[in-house]
Amino acid sequence: MEYVNPEGLRLDGRRFNEMRQIVAEVGVVSKADGSAVFEMGNTKVIAAVYGPREIQNKSQQKNGHALVLCEYSMAHFSTGDRRRQKNDRRSTELSLVIRQTMEACIATELLPHSQIDIFLQVLQADGGTRSACINAATLALADAGIPMRDLAVSCSAGYLNSTPLLDLNYVEDSAGGADVTVGILPKLDKVTLLQMDAKLPMETFETVFALASEGCKAIAERVREVLQENTKQLEYRRAA
Amino acid sequence: MGLPDSCQDLSTEMEVDAFRRLFPLRFFERHLSESLRPDGRPLGKARDTNVNLGLVSSADGSALAKIGSTTMLAAIRMEVMTPSTDSPDEGCIAVEFHMPPICSPTVRPGRPADEAPVISKRLSDVISSCDMIDLKELCLVSGKAAWMGYLDIYCLDADGALFDAALLSAVAAFSNLQIPVVALNDNGRIVAINGDGEQENNASITEKEAVNKEKRKLTLKNIPFSLTCILHKKYILADPTAEEESIMDTLVTVVLDSSDQIVNFNKSGGSALVGSSAIKSCVELARKRGKELKQILGDMDID
Repeated sequence: MEYVNPEGLRLDGRRFNEMRQIVAEVGVVSKADGSAVFEMGNTKVIAAVYGPREIQNKSQQKNGHALVLCEYSMAHFSTGDRRRQKNDRRSTELSLVIRQTMEACIATELLPHSQIDIFLQVLQADGGTRSACINAATLALADAGIPMRDLAVSCSAGYLNSTPLLDLNYVEDSAGGADVTVGILPKLDKVTLLQMDAKLPMETFETVFALASEGCKAIAERVREVLQENTKQLEYRRAA
Repeated sequence: MGLPDSCQDLSTEMEVDAFRRLFPLRFFERHLSESLRPDGRPLGKARDTNVNLGLVSSADGSALAKIGSTTMLAAIRMEVMTPSTDSPDEGCIAVEFHMPPICSPTVRPGRPADEAPVISKRLSDVISSCDMIDLKELCLVSGKAAWMGYLDIYCLDADGALFDAALLSAVAAFSNLQIPVVALNDNGRIVAINGDGEQENNASITEKEAVNKEKRKLTLKNIPFSLTCILHKKYILADPTAEEESIMDTLVTVVLDSSDQIVNFNKSGGSALVGSSAIKSCVELARKRGKELKQILGDMDID
């Protein structure tokens, strides 16, 4: 199957280094301390952050650091086939991966004896859900005012028809080629998440990784814009 | 008792927010005595309501309903199944209500919220008992194939009156539903036809016309509308917020259909006991609310 036609256009008309359209909004769940909606093309994710609050389970308490909990769940209507078990292995794995990614960028030593809950709900899944979740979680944490070392942003890239492709959608992802998900802290220029499945030769991997990192930097710009706009709105409202 | 008086003195000096947290009941009663609520609404008025259709492109029908801050996303997926032998001409609807942890600080992951199964069951009962949908419309081939509709409602923000918002989103999702076009192929199985008609067994499609080409939307008769009220002493508050629900515990839900008949009435305990005049007032408020909701759905061209 041809994923990139001879003119260099993909199935949805994008070029190899074009991301899907991003729509991001902060403060969507009124009951949450911080919340955000993040859409990458047709993938829509809502993140809600509750915290810092009292630790529910004292046995999980960590000395001198806040406890970060994360739950990832997909709505039953989010994918093509409806059957989505609540605690299936993929959801558990993603919850763990996202928790570890966010934990690395939250300044947990500033909030001892407390718990920060990050809840992610996927409303529509079209590839790149883990990246969308990390980006949404970053926005929600910033909205909640939780101190972070940097913004964690994430993007995926793949390799099909001998071309590295940025931001795979579901069709491209299930094509059987490699899928590299990268999460970085842009200001510190550090990699916090790197996952890949399928085989790639080393040089190709480095190209794909570099492409994904570029994508992450572009997302970081967007995330920063959204947060600055949000802060301006808060300022107007306070001054009014 | 000396204590209430000293509270009275303290309250005049305290910040409003602190008073609201420490003496919530007094805070609300002060407002109720002026026939107002803290957000400025008169007692019988519901919050601003919004409905948006077709937001989830991967579902066959979807709607987002917002009452104040309470947000519900409903989506329907249709699948083909074999009907049961005692009703071979009818399809089936399965309703499920979810409260994911994002919606409220009180919901823990791994532990479903207390209200979720209760609301799920009530929604299911109301939708089946009010005859909004004729299950015979979901039949494809009598005795062999019929539609099973899975309606999933997700609460995205829980700020009181969850049942009302959920019912509204369910009704809107049904009105937005587009039943996928299917045809019978050679093996007697139902296959879906894509928009451009591209199919492997093209021959079988040209012979047998799409089984339900004409019937793509469900006719909705008797649309139910609901209103939840709180009873407190002699006051009746329509459309409570989560804060009001947590302080005053007697909730009454009335569901009326488009001909103003009572489909469902629910009062599950609570410290306020209700006399027949209070019931009549609740039903009257529900009637008014039904008119408002009909107006809102009508503005979006839903029958």
